[in-house]
Amino acid sequence: MNSAAADGTGVSVRGLTKTFGSFRAVDDLTFEVRPGRVTGFLGPNGAGKTTTLRMLLGLIRPTAGEALIGGHHYADLQHPLQVVGAALEATGFHPGRSGRDHLRVLAATHAIPDARVDELLELVGIPAAARKRAGDYSMGMRQRLGLAAALLGDPQVLLLDEPANGLDPEGIRWMRGFMRHLAREQGKTVLVSSHLLGEVEQTVEDVVIIANGHLVREGTMDELHGDPAVLVRTTDAPTLAAALARAGIASAPEDQPGSLRVLTGDLARVGDVALAVGLPVHELRPLRTDLERLFLELTESPEHRNRNLEVTSTTPAGAAPAPTGARHTDIPPPTGADAPVPAQEENR
Amino acid sequence: MTGLVRAELLKYFTTRMSWSMPLTMFLVGAIFAAVQGLVLVLIGEFPGSGGEVIRPAELFDDLTLARMVYTGAIQMGYLLALVLGILAMGGEFRHRTITSTLLSAPRRGRLLTAKVTGLVLVVLVNGVAFVAGSLLGGGIMLAVGDAAVFPEPGQLLGTPAKMLLILVLWGLIGFGLGVLIPNQVIALFVGIGVTLLIEPLLGFGLTFVDQLKEAARYFPSQATTSVLDLFAGVDDATAQSMGSADPLTWWVGALVLLGYAAVMTLLGWVVTTRRDVS
Repeated sequence: MNSAAADGTGVSVRGLTKTFGSFRAVDDLTFEVRPGRVTGFLGPNGAGKTTTLRMLLGLIRPTAGEALIGGHHYADLQHPLQVVGAALEATGFHPGRSGRDHLRVLAATHAIPDARVDELLELVGIPAAARKRAGDYSMGMRQRLGLAAALLGDPQVLLLDEPANGLDPEGIRWMRGFMRHLAREQGKTVLVSSHLLGEVEQTVEDVVIIANGHLVREGTMDELHGDPAVLVRTTDAPTLAAALARAGIASAPEDQPGSLRVLTGDLARVGDVALAVGLPVHELRPLRTDLERLFLELTESPEHRNRNLEVTSTTPAGAAPAPTGARHTDIPPPTGADAPVPAQEENR
Repeated sequence: MTGLVRAELLKYFTTRMSWSMPLTMFLVGAIFAAVQGLVLVLIGEFPGSGGEVIRPAELFDDLTLARMVYTGAIQMGYLLALVLGILAMGGEFRHRTITSTLLSAPRRGRLLTAKVTGLVLVVLVNGVAFVAGSLLGGGIMLAVGDAAVFPEPGQLLGTPAKMLLILVLWGLIGFGLGVLIPNQVIALFVGIGVTLLIEPLLGFGLTFVDQLKEAARYFPSQATTSVLDLFAGVDDATAQSMGSADPLTWWVGALVLLGYAAVMTLLGWVVTTRRDVS
């Protein structure tokens, strides 16, 4: 597998579909994860992220399509832990076995020495707790132990399922730094799932966004941000707009009176144009795409409304069933990037 | 493959089960063999099926008496082996360690093979503790009752070996059950309930139906009794009055038990390879 690691091992998902009874958890999903990059795998709770990751790892049999790691099915890998490391939600630890022994059991399958186990416990920051029974571990310690398990075979590809879930702010900061370290300094391919874009925004380079089992958007973070834009506020917006147009810069009026949205990233240029036509500049700042809002727009648009939030059980007996999506439990649209989104357990 | 087996053994030896189970095996063996010795040797008489009084010490030779005492705990022993077998797979689902186990060993057939191998070794370790307990508990009673503790050692040696074999076979039956029923609590409930209650009652009931008499011999508990071959050298009439109705040859009994284990494990194998783990 070392040759594959040299060119970088990617992940490809092609036409992947999984139905549980009549429920299509994942529906004809196709995307690529480029080697050596951190890709965010995003979607609301219940969108099918965990099911997709589990199909990649051979834990769930796809109904159709395939999920390959470096061109191979997981089960065909000779030494899987040395190719792919995965930290999945709902991975359990025997409550009576110490964290260190949990890792030793996994290490034994690949003839990985105990020294490597201790090295990883040190790396994820739980060397002291490692000899205690895992039943007494906090959520954060369990996440760290899961991460250590994923790194055991020093794999090229890492699949992390909601790694920040249950971590305190300090733990989340540590996790972000750790993922960056893995990708930037060690050149690993990382696919990290999350139901919060803001949580991985600073870490990921690429995004794959899904909703209700469908692909909604795939691309780089820069593409998601869109073209750079600047907000400028002055006393006479139309005059400034005309002057900008002459300078070859497009702009559009903003809601606020006297404000323009200017399609450039060059703040100085906008200021210069305003000065040239003698207009005062009261405000001039780069407009950042509100990614969290964009994410919600993408995943909560009518056709992508969260199927799991549809209220069907409360329909009064005898009443005509509500049309799909009509009884959607409304979550007020957040006003800022840091608006809280209700955190729920993935319901599968 | 050796790595996978090593991992399975580590799983067992890194929890409290690694010492609590052999300890239980030892104590259960000692206590129940002692009770058997108490009844057969020290009290020395009990009513037979025809209402007459049976005095085992007069009826049997030393060898048979010793065999009966030393195997007095076998039912409890194979019940514990059954539990060990169920836990080998059930524990993975109960504690959700099955995910990491399958990530490290994605080929499920290989995993099951490693688990079976590991289980046989674990049951043997526990079996040695059980046999040691049985020999201690039973031996004390034989000695106290002035009966021969080790009559004809050469022939008696077969009995502990057969006890180990029975425990291993029951461990495998438990494994099959655990693979087939991933819910550990249900598997334990079914396993213990059937073994302790339903199967013996059903087998006993069948002995009254002439056409089905034969079938009862192939039931797990009666096949197990056949394997022990307690009444080798005792005339049939006496053996029958002790409740041993026309047993199978010991190795046929062993094959029957192996058959149960194999059928359940194979069914479980088929289910396991297709099962979604989420």
